[in-house]
Amino acid sequence: MLTLRSIQIFSAGNPLFPPLSLDIAAGEIASIMGPSGCGKSTLMSAICGNLANVFTLSGDVLLNDRSVLTLPMENRRIGILFQDDLLFPHMSIAENLAFALPRELDRKKRKARIEDALEKADLPGFAKRDPATLSGGQRARVSLLRSLLAEPEALLLDEPFSKLDQALKDQIRVFVFETIRRMNIPALLVSHDHRDCPPGQVINLANGRT
Amino acid sequence: MQRVISSKKARRLGLFPVITLACFLSAIVSGLISTWVQSLGYLPSIGATRISWDPWIRLFSQPGFGSSLKTTLVSGIGAALLALASTFLLFAVSYHNRFWKMLNQALAPLLAIPHAAFAIGFLFLASPSGWFLRLLSPGLTGFDVPPDWSMVKDTAGLSLMLVLVLKEVPFLVLMSLSALSRIDVAGSLAVGRSLGYQAVQVWGRILLPQLYPKIRLAFFAVLAYSLSVVDIALIVGPTAPPTLATQVFRWFNDPDLEHRLLGSAGATLILLLVVGSIGLLVILEIGAARLMRGWLVNGQRRFPMFLPAVISNFFILVVVGFSLLALLVLVTWSFTWRWRFPDFLPETWSLRFWQKGLMQMADPIRNTISIGLTAAFLGVVLVVGCLENEVRMQKQGLSTGTAGMLWLIYLPLLVPQIAFLFGVQVILALFRLDGFWPSLVWSHLLFVLPYVFLSLGPIYRSYDQRFTDIGLTLCHSPWRVFLRVKLPILLRPLLFSFAIGFSVSVAQYLPTLFMGAGRFDTITTEAVNLASGSDRRIVAVYALSQLLTPLLVFLAALLIPRFYFRQRKSMQV
Repeated sequence: MLTLRSIQIFSAGNPLFPPLSLDIAAGEIASIMGPSGCGKSTLMSAICGNLANVFTLSGDVLLNDRSVLTLPMENRRIGILFQDDLLFPHMSIAENLAFALPRELDRKKRKARIEDALEKADLPGFAKRDPATLSGGQRARVSLLRSLLAEPEALLLDEPFSKLDQALKDQIRVFVFETIRRMNIPALLVSHDHRDCPPGQVINLANGRT
Repeated sequence: MQRVISSKKARRLGLFPVITLACFLSAIVSGLISTWVQSLGYLPSIGATRISWDPWIRLFSQPGFGSSLKTTLVSGIGAALLALASTFLLFAVSYHNRFWKMLNQALAPLLAIPHAAFAIGFLFLASPSGWFLRLLSPGLTGFDVPPDWSMVKDTAGLSLMLVLVLKEVPFLVLMSLSALSRIDVAGSLAVGRSLGYQAVQVWGRILLPQLYPKIRLAFFAVLAYSLSVVDIALIVGPTAPPTLATQVFRWFNDPDLEHRLLGSAGATLILLLVVGSIGLLVILEIGAARLMRGWLVNGQRRFPMFLPAVISNFFILVVVGFSLLALLVLVTWSFTWRWRFPDFLPETWSLRFWQKGLMQMADPIRNTISIGLTAAFLGVVLVVGCLENEVRMQKQGLSTGTAGMLWLIYLPLLVPQIAFLFGVQVILALFRLDGFWPSLVWSHLLFVLPYVFLSLGPIYRSYDQRFTDIGLTLCHSPWRVFLRVKLPILLRPLLFSFAIGFSVSVAQYLPTLFMGAGRFDTITTEAVNLASGSDRRIVAVYALSQLLTPLLVFLAALLIPRFYFRQRKSMQV
């Protein structure tokens, strides 16, 4: 469960949006809508731990009932997906995925997890491929699976479909939503396009209305 | 309300700019003050303790001082202004034509040729027994022996000026290209031309006025360098009287220690010349900007292009051609056994001088490489630390003060070397730290740092921070993400700036002589010392080695990432 408790972000003392409270259950994908510049992406960076110091934050973010706000980014266990896939260009597909795996796993398990992930992404045999040789849709799928291999307890989606073309969008959207539900973690999506939002809670950030 | 936590480790990054600044400010400030004090007659180590204007009075009454000053000003300011004017002409007239493409391709190799090696090549081309006269002799000139002309090392300093222009134009073009990447050139040209302006008018009225402020500091650095250069002036500069900087250099090295006071006064005069001419240029710029306001919008759209086009395109040929020929003549001499005037090519060839030269050069090569690698490595580490600190400060919403920062970075290039290095040596000698390897590396680092900063900064800043964010959300520590994600992605520019740092270190002449206290020979000090008067075949071998050493490092910087990331398409750009 990901809980936002009257979260508000201030820039030079002025609030970007009215206080926001939200409960997202495991397997649920909540959506936040709003025009560009209303503070959607800032909210995302506040939740994942990357808020620039020019902003101040009030309220609390709880992940499975513990507050994460004092934790550094790398200890929050909150994954994020951007509109660009951001696959590391200097690593192969398998290396990109391996980078996300927890350290404790032994070699065999690592290999199995990577193969399993590639299977899920419908990309068997792509382990040694260069990310630059994959299509946009393939890269988007790898990117999602990479963020999930780190076993996050929640996932943020920052306009994840806005750079894909229409046909690809539908396909990736179905893939992303199904995968998240199967992982059974809470997810929060921000978008300026209501067609991106899955069924579930939709909040308009500008006025706080559902 | 909570502020976002910033770790202690991250705050430690704040030390990097402090160390870096301390590294150059300490040398420049202490060196300048020490030189000024000596120019007023105070140098206890030689028993001079009476403060007076005496060294200055003696300086102004030196025989030939007036003409020396005149030559310095003409060749120095002339070279800088000509280099700037030619750069502007090239952009306005030749931008993106055939010749431009040639210049663009040749730019990296042109910049990689060290000044001293180029000057030696120039000497072998343009001297009375050089290639140019051999080409014409005896057929057109009737010469069977080299004529007694002073074609290079001319009294007016014209050959010095020409060498400086040919070497500084590629530098200014490079700096302009990187500055123009922040200006919409294609868009401006399209808008201007659709309003009926010729391309050259768009350049003159729209683009160059935007470009100049962005390369102003680089231009001032060229000016400071041209006014104070020693190594090139020793090779192709006038001798009777020499330029002020070479004269000062001789005084510093004079066995009569009294001359050091005179040298200090001369060195300080050079600093004043540089400061004065920069001041004058700033005033001129303000005046020109006022006067040109009306011209900018007077509606004149056309300009007779034939002559400028011919000059500009021909000039590109000269810049590229001279370097190519200089290289060729060096290679030819280095393999020569016997080559009589006026033969166009050597009679007999030999590898003997490479063997002999490389054997003589074992120590200088070792010094060159060890100093260069250390200085370049330290330079890259310090610059990366400073840039990481900048990332941290931006994240915390603190101002990074980039404009003031840029002046500081350029400082070692704006203050003439000769105006403070001797002063530093005197201070180091007090603590018996001159002729000490770390001091020597430190003095090189001073000049390596600005170039590493300038070459790495823009690419480092354009790194997509979200790669690091992704790495962190995948539960890796910031340090690990830095090592595993950011550094590999930036490997290419990192190695490239390392190679630039190395090549800057290799080319240092004055720092090596002054800080090394004569105990460390490098290829460059040897090449410059041998250039006038020694066997041309050996000199050619030295000059080529001076050129090849950094070239090998550049090659490695190019090939290592290419090999390492051979299967990663987007890392090959």
